Amino acid sequence: MTEKLGALSLLQVRAIMKNTFKEAIRSRIFYILMAFAVTMLGFAVVLSFLTLGSQKRVILDLGLAGISFFSVMTSIFVGIGLIYLEVEKKTIYNVLPKPMPRSNFIIGRYFGLMAVLGTNLLAMLAILSVLLAVFKGFTMAVFQAGLFIYMELAIITAIAIFFSSVASPVLSAICTVSFYIIGHTSSTFPDILVPLLRSPFQKKIATWFFHLLPDLNILNTSNLITYDIPIAEGFTLRALLYTGVFVSLLLLAACLCFRKRDLV
Amino acid sequence: MPDPAISIRGLKKTFVGHLSIGRIHALRGVDLEVPSTGIYGFLGPNGAGKTTTLKIVTGLLFPSEGEVRIMGRPAGDNLVRMNLGFLPESPYFYDYLTGEELVTFFGSLFGIPGKELKDRTRLLLDMVGLRGKEKLPLRKYSKGMLQRVGLAQAMVNDPQILILDEPMSGLDPIGRREIRDLILGLKEKGKTIFFSSHILADAEMICDEVAIIVKGKVVQKGRLEELLGKDVRFWDLSFKGPADAEGLPSRHVITSHEGYTMIRLDSEEAVEQAVSELPKRGARIISLVPHKASLEELFLSSIEEREND
Ligand SMILES: Nc1ncnc2c1ncn2[C@@H]1O[C@H](COP(=O)(O)OP(=O)(O)O)[C@@H](O)[C@H]1O
Ligand SMILES: [Mg+2]
Repeated sequence: MTEKLGALSLLQVRAIMKNTFKEAIRSRIFYILMAFAVTMLGFAVVLSFLTLGSQKRVILDLGLAGISFFSVMTSIFVGIGLIYLEVEKKTIYNVLPKPMPRSNFIIGRYFGLMAVLGTNLLAMLAILSVLLAVFKGFTMAVFQAGLFIYMELAIITAIAIFFSSVASPVLSAICTVSFYIIGHTSSTFPDILVPLLRSPFQKKIATWFFHLLPDLNILNTSNLITYDIPIAEGFTLRALLYTGVFVSLLLLAACLCFRKRDLV
Repeated sequence: MPDPAISIRGLKKTFVGHLSIGRIHALRGVDLEVPSTGIYGFLGPNGAGKTTTLKIVTGLLFPSEGEVRIMGRPAGDNLVRMNLGFLPESPYFYDYLTGEELVTFFGSLFGIPGKELKDRTRLLLDMVGLRGKEKLPLRKYSKGMLQRVGLAQAMVNDPQILILDEPMSGLDPIGRREIRDLILGLKEKGKTIFFSSHILADAEMICDEVAIIVKGKVVQKGRLEELLGKDVRFWDLSFKGPADAEGLPSRHVITSHEGYTMIRLDSEEAVEQAVSELPKRGARIISLVPHKASLEELFLSSIEEREND
């Protein structure tokens, strides 16, 4: 019977994923963000005519940046409501009394949004590829970059869902956006901030502390792609590992926080 | 005696406000046992603690003290939940789904395979009176329709125990009767139904057993006929003949019209005396109707007692 419940868990996670997917593609915000992203791509093309550099390069750079930005926006703004709104709207009252641990709900919601973001990302990368092809500049690097964008989304979404399981959307949004900003700047902290400290001891502590901060720049491949530097396999694997560990820990934390919470 | 379906012992729940300021003692030691067959009504005024209790039973809240066991196992146990159906108070559902999609979604959480689930969904939606509305998004459902689709999803796993929080609220009189009949039908199939209500007329018609909760404590519980049968409050005796109740104890004439008289008697001795005395005076007794306490009276007197505590 216990094994049966184990197999059932997979079905449940899949059902919740599917439902999360439906929720997203039937909501307006999803299409608004999509429309923004597509507009951004059009904007990249227009700008490429106005700049002196290589047109293909501008479309590639701006296109990837735009896709990344709007994907992150979707991840944050859907992610922070993923658990909280279910409790707030009381829809969760029907779900949790079913024969499953609460963690199945969190995991299903997470991977459901990841499926949405993946589909979304693929669609935008396809549009970008077509644009690049028009300017005779298509490169597979678009999809390599896509993989790294997706890894970043996996981390941001995990952060958002973690906060969503314990805090209100406003607080979650502030925390997740802060995380995003810190994640993108933390790699510069040691160089900029440590020299400001006097004692070597302080310097040591600060350096350690900064190393503990999440570093999203290790997922940043835009320079490599812009300058056509091939991405090493080892680099990709390390990034995948980093993402996997980070996401697992965050989901675990979210499940633990949610396990004994009173759903009032 | 078989194991009770649900047993609740010494259940307490205290809600702590923000920053630990303010405490609300929603449940102050609730004890009750829901037997494995029949309909159990959990009655009480608004704010008495019904929803809080049911949310603990279904594992949405955790008790501050005390224990809930369902079929002998702790609340929240997944094997138990395989056999549990729950309808929350004024239920909220994913409004982007259609009625059919919603029931199917909940069914898939029980691992019911596709074909079977599809048939069952149809059957259940028919059963709760939503035929023809299967493809309508829940956004367009009325409150009563949501209540109905909520019942359908609660039955999707054909549960042995159904827990319904105010199942008749939000429904018109016809809807209420339909739901009542549906609940009675479930009882015939041998299911346990544990439902809460603050509307006594509904409960009085279908319950086998009730518990009355007031301010977080159960003040009355037992089989309905025993609770109400304990005291016949008075008897109404009608007779034809000389309208002369003079000399009968506890006499209180209600009506007297064209040779027919109805008097109210408030003790068994008075009834005995009247029944033997009246024929001697040439009167013919037509009817003797005992009036038991109604659930409403029991309810109101229970509340009063607790208020005076
Ligand atoms: N989340 C909560 N926080 C604080 N108090 C609550 C909460 N939920 C319920 N209560 C209080 O607990 C008491 C019981 O509420 P409830 O169980 O909903 O009653 P009923 O369902 O019988 O109407 C009420 O006084 C209510 O205000
Ligand atoms: Mg209630």
